[in-house]
This record gives sequence, structure tokens and C-alpha cells, in this order.
Amino acid sequence: MTVTNILSESILEKYIYPVLPVRLVTMIRAVPAAILANLTEIRLRINRPLLLVLGNTDIIVNPMGRVITKYDEAYLCNQDDVHKTLQLISKNSLYAFEQELKMGFLTIDGGHRIGLAGQAIVEAGDVKALKNISSLNIRLAREVIGCADKIMPYIMTLEGHVLNTLIISPPRCGKTTILRDMIRQISTGSRLYKGLQVGVVDERSEIAACKNGISTVDLGVRTDVLDSCPKAIGMLMLIRSMSPAVVATDELGRAEDIYAVREALNAGVSVLTTVHGNEINELLHRPYVGELLEHKYFQRYIVLSDVPRVGTVEKIIDSKNNEILWDKTSK
Amino acid sequence: MWLKLIGSILVFLVSSYIGFQMASRCQARPRHLRQIISCLGSLRSYIIYAYLPLHEAVSRCTNGIDGPVTVFFQNVATMLEKEALLTPEEIIKRVLSEMQGILMLKSPEIEVLHVLGGNLGVMNSKEQEKYISLVIEQLERFENEATRLRDLNTKMYRYLGICGGMAIVIILI
Repeated sequence: MTVTNILSESILEKYIYPVLPVRLVTMIRAVPAAILANLTEIRLRINRPLLLVLGNTDIIVNPMGRVITKYDEAYLCNQDDVHKTLQLISKNSLYAFEQELKMGFLTIDGGHRIGLAGQAIVEAGDVKALKNISSLNIRLAREVIGCADKIMPYIMTLEGHVLNTLIISPPRCGKTTILRDMIRQISTGSRLYKGLQVGVVDERSEIAACKNGISTVDLGVRTDVLDSCPKAIGMLMLIRSMSPAVVATDELGRAEDIYAVREALNAGVSVLTTVHGNEINELLHRPYVGELLEHKYFQRYIVLSDVPRVGTVEKIIDSKNNEILWDKTSK
Repeated sequence: MWLKLIGSILVFLVSSYIGFQMASRCQARPRHLRQIISCLGSLRSYIIYAYLPLHEAVSRCTNGIDGPVTVFFQNVATMLEKEALLTPEEIIKRVLSEMQGILMLKSPEIEVLHVLGGNLGVMNSKEQEKYISLVIEQLERFENEATRLRDLNTKMYRYLGICGGMAIVIILI
């Protein structure tokens, strides 16, 4: 059994199986470990097959847990599977996840995000809650120590400062995993640069995977985490209270996030953050984020993809000269 | 003669004991209801203001209270944490049936607690607040009734126990 297999199994045993009904656990356990090693998502949809997503591809299983190809033999998830999973995830406390439900996801121990889809209840133009939840997407978060090794030389200056960096990638390409490793390396330091104070605003509890406010992953020795706090408020709070040299956060998008990033940069604090997207040109046309790019607030852009595998660094770009510092094709 | 005397004393003591036990049960019911109301008040706060998960909120809501009511809430909290596949309603039903005779509750109060279990944790915090407040209101009505019955019956059971014992002794002698 390889290290990856053992790692995946321990994630499944420790964090994922406890939130799944026994029937589904039995089925997934029957799938060969070599396949489960590449598992990135488990998708449950009422009256649809249980899907196990492995990077770019997915598989279906029959009720015995055997991997099959015919949809008519596949195990179909039912309402009870989805309800029981929700019950186990929320520990019978859906009210405690009110805010998360509004945004359509929950984060469980270990930083694994569970996406939800169902019927939205809208009040005054805002989503008040989700009801009749019919789909769940359990995304496995993996801590990959050292996955940011090749990025680090491009974002650190000779004086030991961190350049403002924006990680650009479509969903499921390893943004958070790479950001987490960057935070760990900046915070811990190396023989080339000393460790810096890092403040992390973890709005979705994915970066630090906090349990009772304490990070359950290695984020280095100089990292303060503000868990479950909106990015915009959290960044300003951290700057005022913890005086970090670097502020890291995930998934920019709203107008207030952009304002907070600008405030942080103006305060002389370096910012590491991520945004959904494929290319820089595409982001330029997007509201709010486009402004940051246009005014070159970030010094480095790191573009990720999932080809050939999740977490592939496509390009590292110097925004000042629009120069490609590193390219996957020309390595 | 001695045998008769000892027998009479025993009959008198047993009868008085039964009377005092009945009186104590009468006193326990409003006390338990009052404690449950107090725990539900804390539970409501832990849910609305602290957004604590249900098992943690139930476990903390007994602060400052002891006796069977604490045991009830603690058992519910433990089961909520360990048996996550059971609903709060199933857990409350199970714990209540295990504590039959220890918690001095009558069937209307038990029914209210069952219904409470059926609605715990499933709605948003605002709805939880409304629902728990409604249950507290209902339990307060039961408590007032139980207090009235306690004032009315406690002395009666005690006197009945003593006097009944004495009457049996007199008849037997």
C-alpha cells in the first residue's frame, strides 16, 4: 500500500465516513484502495447514481460497491441518504450552519467542504435559506506539504518580503492546497529567508480547517487564523490587531473584499489570495477583481490548472512587466 | 404483647413513610419542571447567541442545576454526540423512558418534551427561539398547576400517611 493510499484512507476514515450513512460507507469501502487514493469528490444526488470523482474523471458503483460502467446497475442515492448525511454533518444542528447554508456549503472537520443544492428561499432579493436539499458534493481537502516549493522563489524578494500574489484557477485545481503550503512556508521560513507573521482570514474554514478555533493543519509557527470571519472585515481586523507582515485569504469576489485588499496593500501588508478564473485576460473584464488587476495591485499571478493533474502550475507571471517567469510548457 | 407493639410500630412507620414519599413526589414535580424550564432558557440562549451545536448547547444548559434534570439533559447531550444518526426526538423519547420514575413528569409534560425533540435543530435559530419559547410557556403552565397541587396535597399526603397508619394500628389492636 502506497503513502497516498494510506493518506486517502485516513482522510476517509477520520473525516468522511463519520458524515455518511452506513450503507454508503460500506459501498465506498468496497472500492479498491488504489482507486480511492485519487478520490477528490463524492457526489450524492437524489435518484441519481453515487458518483466518485477522481480528478478529471468519475466512477459509479453498484450496491455492492463494485465499480461499474452501466448506469442502470448503479446504486441510486435516495432522499434518506441525503437527509442522513445532512443530519450527520450538522449533528442535528442545522441552525448553527445558517450562514453557511445561505452560501450553499458547509465545512466539516479537516477542512472538507460540502456543497449543497436544493430549493432556495429568497427574501427581499437575498437567499434566506436552502430547503429540499437534493444534491451534496463532498470535496476532499488534502494537505500537500511542499506543493508550493517551486512557487516560493518567485514570490519572495531577496530582502525576505513577500510579493502580493494572486492565485488564479478554475474550481478543483488546488488553489487552497497551494495557498496553504505557501502560508506554511512563509510562516516557518527557510535557510534563504526568515519566517514572517502571517494572518489568515479563513471565511470558509478551508485553509486552516479549524476545530474550535484551532487549526488542524500545519500553517507554520507564525500564523494567526481568524476562522469563519468574512474576508473584508477579517483582513482589517487582523491588520489592526495582529500586525501581520502577510495576510492570506481565499476566493476574492465581492466589492468589500476588493476594498479590504486595497486597504491591506495600502497599509504595507503583503496579500496572498486566490480567485476563480482561467486566464488573467478573463479576469480583467470581471467587476471588482478587474480593478485590482488593472491597477496592478498584485505583483505575481500564479495560474493553476488540473492538466495533467490537480495543482499543476501553468504560469507564474510578473504583473509589472507582463513577463511570464515560469511556464509549464517551457520548463 | 411485645409482638403486637412492634408490629403496630412497623405498620405506623411504613404508612407514614408512604405518606411522606407521596408528598415528596408531589414536591419534586414542580421542582423538576422549574429546572427543565430554566435549562430550556439556557438552551435557547446557547442556540441563538452562541450558535453552539445542539449536543454542546444541551450539555451546557444544565449549569448550576443538579439532580435528575441534569442527568436527563446530560444523557440527551451524550446521545446526540455519539449517536448522530438518531434524531433529537428519538433520543429524548429514549432517555425519558429510561428515566421513568426518576423524573417526576406526567404524560402531558412528557408529550411536550417529545414534540420539542421533533423540532430541535431542524430550523433556523429564529424559529428555534420561537419554538423553545412556546415550549417554555407550556411548561410554565404545567408548573403553575403542579405548584398548586403541591400546596394542596403535600400536607394531605403526610397526614394521610400518619393518620392512616394510626387507624390501621387501632383497628388491629
